[in-house]
Amino acid sequence: MKPPLFEYVRVSSVDEALDRLTELGDEAKVLAGGQSLVPLLSLRLANPAYLVDINRVGDLSHIANGPVVRLGALSRHRDVERSGLVAQSHPLLSATVKYIGHIAIRNRGTIGGSVAHADPAAELPTLLVALDGEIEARSSRGVRTLAAAEFFEGFLTTALEPDELLTEVRFPVLAAGTGWSIQEFSRRNGDFGVVTVVVTVAVDSAGRISEARISFGGVASTAVRASSAESALVGQTPSAELWKSAAHEAASSLDPSGDLHGTPQYRRHLAGVLTERALVEAHGRVEEG
Amino acid sequence: MRLVGAKIPRVEDRRILTGRGHYIDDVQLPFMLHSSFLRSPLAHGRINSIDVTEARRAPGVVAVYTGEDMKALAGPIKPVIPTGPAPEYFPLVTDKVLFVGDLVAMVVAESRAQAEDACELIEVDYDPLPAVVDYETALDPSVPPIFSDLESNVLVTRHLEGGDVDAAFKEADRVIEVELSQHRVADVPMETRGVVADYDDDSGQLTVHSATQSPQGVRIQLASTLDHPINKLVVLTQDVGGSFGLKINIFREDFCVCVASKQIGRPVKWIEDRNEHMIASGHAREEKILAQVAVSDAGDVLGLKAELTLDQGSYPGLPFGAAIFPSLIDVLLPGPYKVKGYSCDSKVITTNKCVYVAYRGPWAIETWARERLLDIVAHELGLDPAEIRRRNYLEGAEGDQLITGRSVSGITSRETLDRALALIDYEEVRSQQQVARNEGRCVGVGFATFLEAAPGPPEMRLGGGMFAGEQATVKLEADGRVTIITAQSPHGQGHETTLAQVVADEMGVSMDQVQVVYGDTRLTPFSIVGTGGSRAATWATGAVLVNARKVKEKVLAIAGAQLEVSPEDLEISEGIITPKGVPSKAISLAQIARQATLGPASLPPGTDANLESNERFLGEGITGSGWSGGTHACVVEVDLGTGAVKIVRYVVIEDCGRVINPGVVAGQIRGGVAQGIGQVFYERAAYDKEGNFLAGTFMDYLLPTAAEIPTIEIEYVESDPEGEIGFRGVGEGGIIVAPAALTNAIEDALLPFGAKITEMYLPPAKVLELAGIIEE
Amino acid sequence: MTMDMELTVNGSAYQVSADPRRTLADFLREDLRLTGTHLGCEHGVCGACTVMVDGSAVRSCLMLAVQADGCDVMTIEGLERDGQLHPLQESLRDCHSFQCGFCTPGFVMTALAMIEEGSAPASEEELRENLAGNLCRCTGYQSIVEGVIEAVRRTTDQSASAQGAVEKRVS
Repeated sequence: MKPPLFEYVRVSSVDEALDRLTELGDEAKVLAGGQSLVPLLSLRLANPAYLVDINRVGDLSHIANGPVVRLGALSRHRDVERSGLVAQSHPLLSATVKYIGHIAIRNRGTIGGSVAHADPAAELPTLLVALDGEIEARSSRGVRTLAAAEFFEGFLTTALEPDELLTEVRFPVLAAGTGWSIQEFSRRNGDFGVVTVVVTVAVDSAGRISEARISFGGVASTAVRASSAESALVGQTPSAELWKSAAHEAASSLDPSGDLHGTPQYRRHLAGVLTERALVEAHGRVEEG
Repeated sequence: MRLVGAKIPRVEDRRILTGRGHYIDDVQLPFMLHSSFLRSPLAHGRINSIDVTEARRAPGVVAVYTGEDMKALAGPIKPVIPTGPAPEYFPLVTDKVLFVGDLVAMVVAESRAQAEDACELIEVDYDPLPAVVDYETALDPSVPPIFSDLESNVLVTRHLEGGDVDAAFKEADRVIEVELSQHRVADVPMETRGVVADYDDDSGQLTVHSATQSPQGVRIQLASTLDHPINKLVVLTQDVGGSFGLKINIFREDFCVCVASKQIGRPVKWIEDRNEHMIASGHAREEKILAQVAVSDAGDVLGLKAELTLDQGSYPGLPFGAAIFPSLIDVLLPGPYKVKGYSCDSKVITTNKCVYVAYRGPWAIETWARERLLDIVAHELGLDPAEIRRRNYLEGAEGDQLITGRSVSGITSRETLDRALALIDYEEVRSQQQVARNEGRCVGVGFATFLEAAPGPPEMRLGGGMFAGEQATVKLEADGRVTIITAQSPHGQGHETTLAQVVADEMGVSMDQVQVVYGDTRLTPFSIVGTGGSRAATWATGAVLVNARKVKEKVLAIAGAQLEVSPEDLEISEGIITPKGVPSKAISLAQIARQATLGPASLPPGTDANLESNERFLGEGITGSGWSGGTHACVVEVDLGTGAVKIVRYVVIEDCGRVINPGVVAGQIRGGVAQGIGQVFYERAAYDKEGNFLAGTFMDYLLPTAAEIPTIEIEYVESDPEGEIGFRGVGEGGIIVAPAALTNAIEDALLPFGAKITEMYLPPAKVLELAGIIEE
Repeated sequence: MTMDMELTVNGSAYQVSADPRRTLADFLREDLRLTGTHLGCEHGVCGACTVMVDGSAVRSCLMLAVQADGCDVMTIEGLERDGQLHPLQESLRDCHSFQCGFCTPGFVMTALAMIEEGSAPASEEELRENLAGNLCRCTGYQSIVEGVIEAVRRTTDQSASAQGAVEKRVS
């Protein structure tokens, strides 16, 4: 279980990275934190001719506040987890990052790497899809911003072109008073969730739900939103029955596949259970706020 | 101070805590080559052609071996101790692959990475054959045998009876029939397998560095299969990173690596990677028991009929194939209960899966099946599971026997149950359970009792039992220090500490004066098992103790003559020999040892200058029942939303006789329980219907982490505290009984849903299926 | 094919060249002969290969050696000073924390990072979660958890009584 031969290319700036990616095209793979890519190399499930190591690129590690929390592609999970700034402005993001792997993984793993790897069971894609977050990609041809929904195309597949570098991930901050919850059920501590659900709930002054978001990881080839359940929640008055019916609606919209960790029936059931728990918790946070 | 019984820090720990342990992958020899194996992607298939041309040309490659190449140099592989039908097979396959991961070709190169590169260049053309993956297919007489030189896929059958089974069933009010199955799992030590072979062309000596439980077992099998003179074959073993039964085996890769070193004339290393390990090192436990229990309505267990089927996968293990395990299982299945009639029919079948190997308590299905059956019977009769056990226990009275004939005088099953239930506060747990149920929560309590023949009752150890006891050497060295040479080959059990504790006490020296030597076949006595089968506590300890005593007798004879005191009136403390109560008159062990070594002629007449003893210990002086045993009890709470099971409390009442080192013993128990928890909730060596292996990484084969394993409370019944050699084995009980306690607790929790647990593996999805919350 | 690099390992400076496809773990073990760092899975799950890079615990099987160019690496071999075990090592020994020793370097480095960062959690439950990235097959973990709790206690006491000395050792 040793990595295959590749040519190692270390770049020290975004421009240099873009030049090399333009030159090498799909022969190259970008190496960021390496927490997903290096195992694939060692298992010889990935066999790139070139590895473009961006870890020395200086200006991709930012953690910036605002109406949108902007995380440089090279910001490490652990830095985000321990950031007081993020904890304050985006507690949902803080909470989500804590679910990623274990400390040693989070010390090295990057936000950009996790998003670009596009594992449908991973936490950050599920959150990005929930928040309608954005991904910034640069190439020698220019800069473009992709919505999460268009960025994640399928299992380990994104809209990034071979010459593009993911440079920033943007997590919109929740409007004041919005409640949130992330519920992940994994077989063991630190594993990807069998199912993960991210929920936000906002309530208007009349006590009715003004906005609801429900996003699932682990139930399809990408993270997915439960749009029909979201719509069904809007305008309703919060109640235990409402959460139950919305959770049921959300779960029945799913068509998950099975694996060693859960049958399709189990995943669908779990999605419903976690959604209900998430709605209750998120609503609890609304009232707190 | 007596060292035995104290939580002495381990001798091993300084080196392992500083990174100076010496494991197989740490062996680095000059000019050493590395190897990698091409493994079968198919469960069953015929090799039409194999082309290694490109691989031979690849950078760094020194040699490539196909099955035919290897067949010309080694094999066929025949176990040195025949145990059942032996199909003919070779280190690498010659015609048919028999499981995903089977050995097709070997590459030897300057680096492991280059060897792997070259493996990718080997082209093999296969004709797939239908795979035999399940019990039904293997037992179907119309399905051709996997091994064409055997008559069928049923390798072994066996029948055992005790008492009058027909009479017992006639007497019964009812007969309850259940099929219970446990799933395929794997031992999964944190260190994978590995071997380094170093052949010296001038002397003809083959030195094999092996991560094994049994260096002598490796040596005798290698010599036999490779037709290599055994007096020119040395096996060396240093630190071994866990094993749990796996590394008692001699593996086909071992032969290949030795052949390559002999051919090339350079050291060759093979370190298994984790993916190979999961696919091809060895799997365990895949068995089922169809049981009929004859009971009275009052709860007397009268009779038991069982049919055991064991799926051994493809190749037989070495030195012990799975064929021997039914004989361990059927003897113990009725357990410490007053059954009147019993029969067991066993079959071992072969399938296109990885080799079945021993895994800590390889007979453990007997405990799980029996303790599960008792709960099922209790529920059917409306009895408390504690009540049915208490009603049926053998008391351990003089003359008490298992229905299979083994004497169980002195066992403490009832006491361990009573204490376990007291410790877990059974009455309170039952009332809390009701409160929880009223609140819609799902709480259960479960317990189970085991017996392990470690070393077994007197009739099982006549003449030292199956392996004729154990040999050891104890030697007083020239400076008064003591060397122990043991046949054990530890891989985490702490024998460098525990054996030293026992001998230090006996010899009257401090721990740091005692050195334990193991893992060098030039020095160590023969043992086919080495460290395994929970043998060390009784057999290895007994062996070093009796030999230490012999050395001590010789020393005291010399000292007595020199001090003009009768040897019986002498004592040794901190290395100083004094007449009891006369500390002023003293001679040191070091003085006597020096004199015996350098000036033996000056010793008093009639004394022996050879201050060494290496007698074989055959069991004399063993006290107590011979049975380790105990009861585990636990409380669980099931999350009916997710199917997650939280282990709220887990308690162990253990009877392993005298405890040598509580730190070591507790570690053995807790480690075993953790593996039992893994087996029930997390671990499964899964195949699909075509025989593809599905759990090749640690993302698929889930070992529990610190977050999944609860605190495990332990109390001891030291049923033989003052015994001569009253130490009993404790390596296996934890994993043997934990699955029964856990599954009983979960069934108890799910009783309101009518759940009946008949399969051991209970991942969250299965828990919800049992509760009727989701469909299968 | 190989790349020149400089790094510090356990306080010693090295100027070496490494094959880019060599992982940091293989580099430490094979090139520097620091075999205390173990490989249990080579795909980032078991944690046996955990080392500290620039003060943080990382999996050395998931980092290429060339990525450690310019870094300060600490391995299990770096804890003992002048024949004196680190309080963490002493605590783990006193608690019989380990058995076969194969997972040991990973646990030690994970716990060391926690202690040096001052991030060891107060509750046992959280501590168990923080140790969940390291697999042990022998112990059932309880002895390891006890050992780490003891080490946190001892290092905290020590730092209270001899703050300067601790800072010196940590830096």
